[in-house]
Amino acid sequence: MDSFAEPTDDVLVAAAVAGDEGAFEQLFERHRRQVARTGGRFFAQREQIEEIIQDSFTKAYFALHTYHGTHPASFKAWLTQIAVNCCYDQLRRMRRRPEQGLGDVEESEAHEFAAQLRSPPKDVETELVSRDLAVKLLARLSADDRLVLTLLDVEGFSVAEIADVTNWSISKVKVRAHRARAHLRRIMQRYL
Amino acid sequence: MFKPSSKKIDELDEAGRRVLRAAAASLEETEAAASSPFLYRRIRAAIRADNQKREEATGWLSLIFVARRAVPAMALITLLVAVLTVWSAFAPTTTQNSPDDEALIEGPGPGVEQTVLAGSTMSQDDVINIVVDRDYGRNGR
Repeated sequence: MDSFAEPTDDVLVAAAVAGDEGAFEQLFERHRRQVARTGGRFFAQREQIEEIIQDSFTKAYFALHTYHGTHPASFKAWLTQIAVNCCYDQLRRMRRRPEQGLGDVEESEAHEFAAQLRSPPKDVETELVSRDLAVKLLARLSADDRLVLTLLDVEGFSVAEIADVTNWSISKVKVRAHRARAHLRRIMQRYL
Repeated sequence: MFKPSSKKIDELDEAGRRVLRAAAASLEETEAAASSPFLYRRIRAAIRADNQKREEATGWLSLIFVARRAVPAMALITLLVAVLTVWSAFAPTTTQNSPDDEALIEGPGPGVEQTVLAGSTMSQDDVINIVVDRDYGRNGR
């Protein structure tokens, strides 16, 4: 029955713009996992992911009036774009505060890391260690490099999708991806 | 410079991808963050704080706007004051004082007595005598 059908995102957005707080809460309930997944691609700590969720929904709230959905997936794509931008801002902030990132990889860690790369980790404990090292290594990449590589290799976006999400041109995405990959290769070369 | 072979490049790229994936959160961690208690309340609080900041910014902006509108009026007043100052500096300073002004400015002198006695036939000596006599009479009592 139509009267019991869930309202679409566009209906909820219109209600939220009109001042209906419940509608915005419904949008939050519907999409918070999606935003958390986007945040989780870039950050492993729970607090960081929560910050991304909070920033994304706060920004989305103030930008709701600019949203003009045309098909059912529009809101999700629009919100993902906001979440990716929040992640990018957070990566840039981290680059400006290197004390949060992590320092250098020590000799013992380097050996451990090289061994891990040759034999994939199987248990959770080893996996956590390799994450710690991975975060240290990726802290050497610029925010742009990290963004484009994560969207390509972890999120599985195409170049066109990245261009759409970041508002960069397709050629800029390609050039940035090429340089970022070369940079990451140089970092990896020290351990392989 | 040594250029890695294509096989080596593939290895490095694969290692890079593993590092990128290792730095990401697991599904459980992501779910835990998404289900964090009070997350929506924190968002509402952030929205309220942001709203307040925007309102304050708007208040300052309106004040600046009002000040901007007041600038021409203030400039006009300043110009008028400047013109008046220059005009008063170059205006002629000789002015005709009235007799009343002189009486106020100058101390009592012979002119005053003459003015007082102008309507009578008594001389100055008569007046002095009268005064001396009165004093004498007073002292004699």
